[in-house]
Amino acid sequence: MNSQTKSQFIAVASITSELSAVMVVAKEISLAAANAKAIAFRAGDKAKGFQPITDFINELAKETIELVTNINVYALLLYRLTVNEYRRTAAYNRFEQVAKLATGASYADSMQEPISHAKTMMQDCQRQFKRDVTQLLGQLEAVMHHARAARVIAANSRIEASQAGEYLQSLQAVAESVDKAAHTIHDNVQRCRIALSIYRNS
Amino acid sequence: MKMTKIYEGAHQWVMFGRDENKPDNIIDSNQYIVRTANKCLLLEPGGTELFAPMMAAVLHHAPVDQITDLFASHQDPDVISSLGLWDQALSNAKLHAPALWEGYIRNFGCESIEYVPIPDNGETIKIESVELQIIPAHYLHSPCNFHVYDPQAKILMCGSVGSAFEAANAPVFVERFDVHVEKMRAYHQRMMPSNQAKRAWIDRVRNLDIDILAPQHGRMFKGDDVKRFLDWFDSLQVGTGV
Repeated sequence: MNSQTKSQFIAVASITSELSAVMVVAKEISLAAANAKAIAFRAGDKAKGFQPITDFINELAKETIELVTNINVYALLLYRLTVNEYRRTAAYNRFEQVAKLATGASYADSMQEPISHAKTMMQDCQRQFKRDVTQLLGQLEAVMHHARAARVIAANSRIEASQAGEYLQSLQAVAESVDKAAHTIHDNVQRCRIALSIYRNS
Repeated sequence: MKMTKIYEGAHQWVMFGRDENKPDNIIDSNQYIVRTANKCLLLEPGGTELFAPMMAAVLHHAPVDQITDLFASHQDPDVISSLGLWDQALSNAKLHAPALWEGYIRNFGCESIEYVPIPDNGETIKIESVELQIIPAHYLHSPCNFHVYDPQAKILMCGSVGSAFEAANAPVFVERFDVHVEKMRAYHQRMMPSNQAKRAWIDRVRNLDIDILAPQHGRMFKGDDVKRFLDWFDSLQVGTGV
């Protein structure tokens, strides 16, 4: 296996790993939203501005979980494609080797058709991989967008929390946890994007 | 890759082996083809590392589109790990291999080749007009294992039985049986787990008319050495690894 193939395997495998961490964090946001909703309910009028924010946080977490679930399915397909491309490339290289070794053999020419077929299949896989990576990068961008939105919500939450009297600390803690989670999601997804970006369609 | 024609009649048997360019840390193995007018059966196709020299050698005898059948006696990588490559090279081929090992062997890659499962009690494979008997050889050494007998050529391809490990320049036939015995003893004692299975196989094989015993590793046996081998194997205690 050459170093480019190794890097490709690592890049694809790292997506699943990074995204499983994103999934955990998104579930934490969902929990934080439920917690915030309970606090806002107890705070009544003092946290009136906070109540719609909790629904929004929850919605955002759900959408992130859904997106990541879809991306994971896609990442698995990309992994299979990588395995397939590896097999096709290995076969093509071996067939080329056969052609060299078979020089002078009565039926050496009959190898040309398998070589040509293997080359086409290998190139198809390479093109498909680039197309799929480009699409996956688009999906990862959507998760980044959610992470940015979560940070804006966290900022608004802090402002609303400051109006909540004795509930200030609890609600600020919720805002902090949403902000931290958004950071983590952003960083993890960014790492996926960097790992994949060298394979995208130019 | 050395090529030795071991039968020439209405069809041919060719033995391939002693690849001088194989990596040192990979065991040498024998491959065989049965060539008829329009078809070619490849017995024990070999490991991935051996694919290119093996395929190149076969092209001296048959074009790619006439390699229509493969046979694997059992599931070991030195027997059939090249399957994924043959699978991409051959557009219309069948693999005859033990039914028990289908799920295992498919791990090597088997998408376009048709897997034809061999039942436990063996069967007959027909390659054009040549009928080959698939003889059960279970536990020798694999728990589900088969050998191939050609009654016309009087050749028994006996897989792991009779195997020995030789240098790349070793002759392809046993020349002095008494010397060769020591190259086989440890392998057979360790790799063959059951005296009962060995006895059943010997009883079955003694009823066949055999000119050549063709193992997967090492030298082939011909003439009187066939009986010498059966007698020696009969008296050998196997399964000594415990």
